[in-house]
Order: sequence, then structure tokens, then C-alpha cells
Amino acid sequence: MADYSFNGGIVIKNPYLVDKVEIIQAPLPTKVVLSLQQLGGQVKPCVSIGDYVLVGQVIASAKDGFSVPIHAPISGVVLSIDKQTIAHQSGLKSECITIESDGKDKWIDRKNNHVDFLHYSTKALIEAIQKSGIVGLGGAGFPTHIKIDKVVDCHTLIINGTECEPGVMCDDALMQFHPREIIRGVEILLHICGAKRVIIAIEEDKQVAYHALLTFNHNDRISVNQIPTKYTSGAEKLLIKALLDVEIPSGGFAVDKGIICQNIATAKAVFDAVISHRPLVSRIVTVTGDGVRPNNFEVRLGASFEHLISLVSPNKRVHNYRMGGMMMGIDVADINAPIGKTTSAIFVNNQVQKPVIQECIRCGQCSEVCPVGLLPQQLYWHAKSENIEKALNYNLPDCIECACCDYVCPSHIPLASYFSFAKALGKQQTREQDKSNIARERFECREHRLERNKLERTQMMADKKKVLKEKMAKEQSQKQKVDEAMQRVKQAKDKR
Amino acid sequence: MMRQVIYALSLGVMVAYYFFGWGVLLQIVLGVITAIAVESAFLALRGRDIISSISDGSAILTATLLAISIPSIAPWWVIIVGVSFAIIFGKQLYGGLGNNPFNPAMLGYVFLLISYPLQMSTWQVDFLSLNHALETVFNLNNIDVISGATKLDEVKNGLSLAGSIQQLEIHSPSQAWINAGFLLGGLYLLFRKVIFWHIPASFLIGIVISSMLLWMSNVDLYLSTQNHLMLGGTMLGAFFIATDPVSASTTSKGRIIYGFLIGVLIVIIRTFGGYPDGIAFAVLLMNMTVPLIDAYTQPKVFGQ
Repeated sequence: MADYSFNGGIVIKNPYLVDKVEIIQAPLPTKVVLSLQQLGGQVKPCVSIGDYVLVGQVIASAKDGFSVPIHAPISGVVLSIDKQTIAHQSGLKSECITIESDGKDKWIDRKNNHVDFLHYSTKALIEAIQKSGIVGLGGAGFPTHIKIDKVVDCHTLIINGTECEPGVMCDDALMQFHPREIIRGVEILLHICGAKRVIIAIEEDKQVAYHALLTFNHNDRISVNQIPTKYTSGAEKLLIKALLDVEIPSGGFAVDKGIICQNIATAKAVFDAVISHRPLVSRIVTVTGDGVRPNNFEVRLGASFEHLISLVSPNKRVHNYRMGGMMMGIDVADINAPIGKTTSAIFVNNQVQKPVIQECIRCGQCSEVCPVGLLPQQLYWHAKSENIEKALNYNLPDCIECACCDYVCPSHIPLASYFSFAKALGKQQTREQDKSNIARERFECREHRLERNKLERTQMMADKKKVLKEKMAKEQSQKQKVDEAMQRVKQAKDKR
Repeated sequence: MMRQVIYALSLGVMVAYYFFGWGVLLQIVLGVITAIAVESAFLALRGRDIISSISDGSAILTATLLAISIPSIAPWWVIIVGVSFAIIFGKQLYGGLGNNPFNPAMLGYVFLLISYPLQMSTWQVDFLSLNHALETVFNLNNIDVISGATKLDEVKNGLSLAGSIQQLEIHSPSQAWINAGFLLGGLYLLFRKVIFWHIPASFLIGIVISSMLLWMSNVDLYLSTQNHLMLGGTMLGAFFIATDPVSASTTSKGRIIYGFLIGVLIVIIRTFGGYPDGIAFAVLLMNMTVPLIDAYTQPKVFGQ
């Protein structure tokens, strides 16, 4: 068995510890904004402006098998369907549906049958998961029904109960307060994918959650494992390495090795969808940072960041808002942006003094902590000089942008930003290369076509000429024959 | 980071002061002043921010390392010329901190060693008072300190006269104690995780293995491993000079190769070379091989 760890990574204790993790129900927001943008797939609004919607009603339906529908998180009136600012570093706008609350929180009719899920077929369960709008709640937001389906022989299902980043507590809270639902949800997932066993992974510092899950777990195919508290153990491939000592090949997927990874919050959402017939309309968000007292809130999707931040009433000096964790999170430009399905945390910090960036002294601390074994300083060197080809030689695409290197860099160089920039640049270059390749091919095709046309034309002309010549020759011979005949006639005449 | 290194150096410096007196500190003060002045001037010429570059401590560290490497009774201009050369040609001309392929302090040291062999090979034997040190370094009076060669020098020259190593009576408590001081400082750096264990460990192992092989081949001709470890600048080199991050190898495996080969080269130069102590040459030689070592010791990437 593995030693439940991997190379690299850093140990950061939760910097904003609270004595007791709890979940506070956030009040209903007066307005929600729901982005239609999804990972890959497409959704189409199926309500129009002015429509009255109930909680849980589908307001945008999935256009293909890859996407999941969007449900109204509050009851009220559809205010607009237009471009709104979403949570993004640059204040990016995206097509969104805005609903204004009527404050009544009226739900759609929910069938309340308590039939054992085992009576349903796998297909029906997967469909229920898709119809409930469930995506991976850990970070990437990959649709769960796709991840759990299409598995030929899955031997292990891993339930990721490690917090994605230091400071975030939403999964911890969920495990402490909903262990029964989580275990049931895991059993449903297990039933669907037919794995031989399930491993629920929890970090060592979450003892309450660990014991809560142990208490409610009566399934002998499910084991609850503790792993060392270390940052980046929440990353799927590294978690698999730590638990099973299996290394997922670069560019490959866990599924290829018969392993499925699901987040703990996803398991809870599956329980809600299948047993309570409750679509995904809310999630737990950690609000933390040195500007506020850390808390977990259960909040409806689409509520604004501001809605949550106002609940913890930060002092007036607060300036910096960060979505996601302290390591991989992004600074949010507009706090009116809505909370999405993958928003695990909001960091509210007093104005942070950005340290002065100094030259790289090649100390190598970064390669020491890199969990995927890269050489960040060499990568930095090539990324800085925009030498993407060289950076690719140093395995740039394998960088998971965990920012461990940033954390330890004594020169405070924002290495991970350089790498994501270089990746984007690399993609752009490939795109341009593809474009110019296509253009060149098109040009060559045209040249070829023109050449062929020319050839055909000359061939045609030659053919025509030949025909003409033959015709002329024929005419000539006929003329000759006529002449000869005339001559003979003439000769005959002369004889007479 | 560089500051931690300077703190760690202080123990060895204090031991050196205990044995050799004020000359040691005088050289450091002269060196640091020169380093700050030259670095500031060059940064101004290059239009860079002076304060942040000076405050990173790297120029001061270069000056300190060079100052404790040269004889403490060397004339005042020696350290000034050496530090200037180290800062200008070893560092700034390559683009400043982080871009220099060679260890600046060692570049300065080799420059002095080649240019001023006389001043670089006269070491004092006893403690100097402040007055005495000032007079000697600034050449105010006629030099009247008792000076001589280092033990490694003696071995090199003495072997041709004496029959065997044993007859030379190699015993130098001062050098052993100074080495112990630097060893402790180095362990502090390891403990604080300012340096990694790879280079010092493989450096010392390189010295131990190669000196052991030589010594076992002929006990009369070659210095024992113990002497190699305790004489000269062995510990200073292992923990403070070879570990300079900028010019050393950067991969884990690379650091081990780098350190080991420096250790081996030191023993070879000490034994067969023309100079008594080979640390500077060994480090500079290995600096040259760093790009090659780095290229061939890339770690295995996850999933590949």
C-alpha cells in the first residue's frame, strides 16, 4: 500500500482557523444571476422575460448530452436574459438569466417517493443526476453524469473529501453535518459505476468529519481513509497517487485506469437529486480571510458575492476579494458577480501589500515543492522570454497551476501566472499555426486547381485542334475526291 | 535568504577573529563597503533600482565570502580590487543577480590569486590587535607581523623537502576550529532550509572518497581524509560557496553530481595542482558544467 502521499506539495495549516465549523443558512437573495455558460456543452433558455418561475423549475434546458439543465434557485419573475458580468478576473461578461425573488421560496411539486434507489435502473439514475443539474462541485465543474457513465470496468471509486485548498472549509462542514446523506449518495454512485470498492479520502486534520463518516458508514465496500494534510492532495491525479500509488499518465484520464473520482459535495448533491428529488439550486461556500470571521454559508446559486460578504459585515478597509482558494483562486474584479456551482470559497482580505518581485536566484525551492516534478525556474526562464517551444520541452502542459512554487519563491515571482500565460500563448501559437497551415493548404489547393484547369484547357484545346485537323483532313480528302471526280468529268467531257 | 547566510557565516568569522584578530573584520568591512559602492554605481549606470538590489544582501555576501577567503593581513587594495572585480565582472556584466554563470566571490578570488600571488599567500600566525591590524593592512608601518604559509601550502612545499607527510607534523588547531565554526553555521542553514543537503553532503563525500583512495594508496605521500576535511576552506566551501544557488546546479540529482565532483576536484587540485587550495578553481570549473548537468538531470514528471 502507498504511504498516502506524493512528492512535493506544501503543508499549510488553515490560516483562518475557527473553533467550530458550522453551516449558516444564508437568507434568500433578492436577485439571482445564472450564467448559461457551461463546461463544453450548451444550454438554451426555456423561459422568457416576465415569466414566473418556481424553485427547482428548469429555466434553461440542456441542448446536448454533455450539458446539464439550469434550475431556478428562487421563486420569482424572470427579469432579463442578457449579458452580465460573471466571476472572472477581467470582469468577463456572459449570457445570463436574471430572476427577481418574490420572497416566497415556492418550490415545484417534488415527488416524495421513498422507493429504494436500487429499484431504479442505472440509466434512470444517471438521467436523474443529469436532470438535477449536477456537475463536479470540487472545482472544474465537469458534468457528473458523463464522468460516472461510460466506464467499462471501474474498480475503484474515490470520493474526494480533501479540501481543495488551505482555508476552505465547505467540504469539512458538509461531512460534519451531512454524513448520512453523503454515505447514501456514495452508495448511489457506487451502484451506478459498479466499482469494487469506494475510498473516501479525508485529510488528517479533519477528525470530526472523519468520525462522523465512520459512524454512518455501514457498507463494507466503502472505506474511509485519512491522508496527510498537504496542499495539492485535492488534485485528482495526486490523490489517486497518494491513495492507490497509481500514476495517471500525462494527458490521460483516471477513467482509463478504472478509477473514478468524485467530490464529497457531489455525492451529497446526488443524494439530494435521487432521494429527495431536489435539483442543485444551492451550495456551501466558505467565506474566510483576515477581513472577516470565517464561516460556511449555504447559499442559493446565482446570489452575488456581495450578498454573502454583507452577511459577515466586513470592515470598511477591506479591498481584496478572491474567489476560490488562497493559492489558485482569482481576484474578483466585481463583487456583484454571481456565485456559481464551483464557487467553493470567497477570501475577503484587508488590502494586501504585494511583495516586491525580485530576480530569480535559482534557489530551486520551487522544483522541491512541485507536486508534478517540474522545474519551475527553467519554465519561468522560457515563459518569460516567450520561448514556448523550450517551455514545452520542459513539460509546460503538465503544470497543474497549483501555485506551490509561488508560495515558496523567496523572490516572490508569480510563477504560476507566467505558466498559465505561457500555456495560453502556446495554445494561441498552435491555433495560429493551424490557421496558417489551413491557409497554406488552401493556397496549395488553389494552385493545384489552377494548374489542373490549365492542363485540362490545353488538353481540351489540343483535342479540339486534333478534331479540327481530322475534320479538315477529311474535308480535304473529300474535296480531293470531288476534285478528282470533277477532273474525271472534265476529262470525259474533253474526250467527247 | 542571503541574510540568513550572512548570519550563519558569523560563527566561523568569530572563530577566525579569535585566532587572527582584527584583520579578519577589517577585510570584511572594507569588502562590504566596496561591494555596496560598486554595486550602487553599476545599478545607477544600468538604470536599476538601487535600494532593492542592495537590500537583497547578495553583494554583501559576495564581499564577505571573498574577505574571509583572502589573508587577513593582505593590503587594503587587494580586497577592494577583488570585490570590484567580483561585482563587476562576476555579476553585473551578466545582468545582475540571478544571471551570473559563475560564483562571483570565487571569480574575484581566482583573479586575486593569479594577479597578486605574493599578497595572497602570506598568512599571519598570531592574533592582531586593532591598531596592529590597521597598520598592517594600510601599510602604515613596516610589516612586522609573523607571517607564513598555510598548512596546505606547507604540505605542498614541504613534501619535496621532507620524506613523508608524517614528518611535516600537520597540526593546525586554528584552521580546524574555523572549519568547525563554518560547519556549525552550515548546519544552521540546513536546519533553516536555506540550503539543501545535496551539495554539502555530496561535496564532503567527494572529498572523503577521493582523499581516502589516495591516502590508502600511499600513506606517506598523501594527506589523510581528516586533514582534508579540517584544513583550508573545506567547510566554508561545502556549506557557503558551492551552495551559491545562482551558479550551482538546480535539480536534486544535478546538485549531488555537482557537489561530488567539486569535492573530487578539490582533492585533485590540492594534491596534484599548482595551488594549495583548489576550492575556487573546482567551483568555477563545475559552474561551467551546470547547464549540461541540469539538462541531463531533469526530474521525472508526474505521469510520464
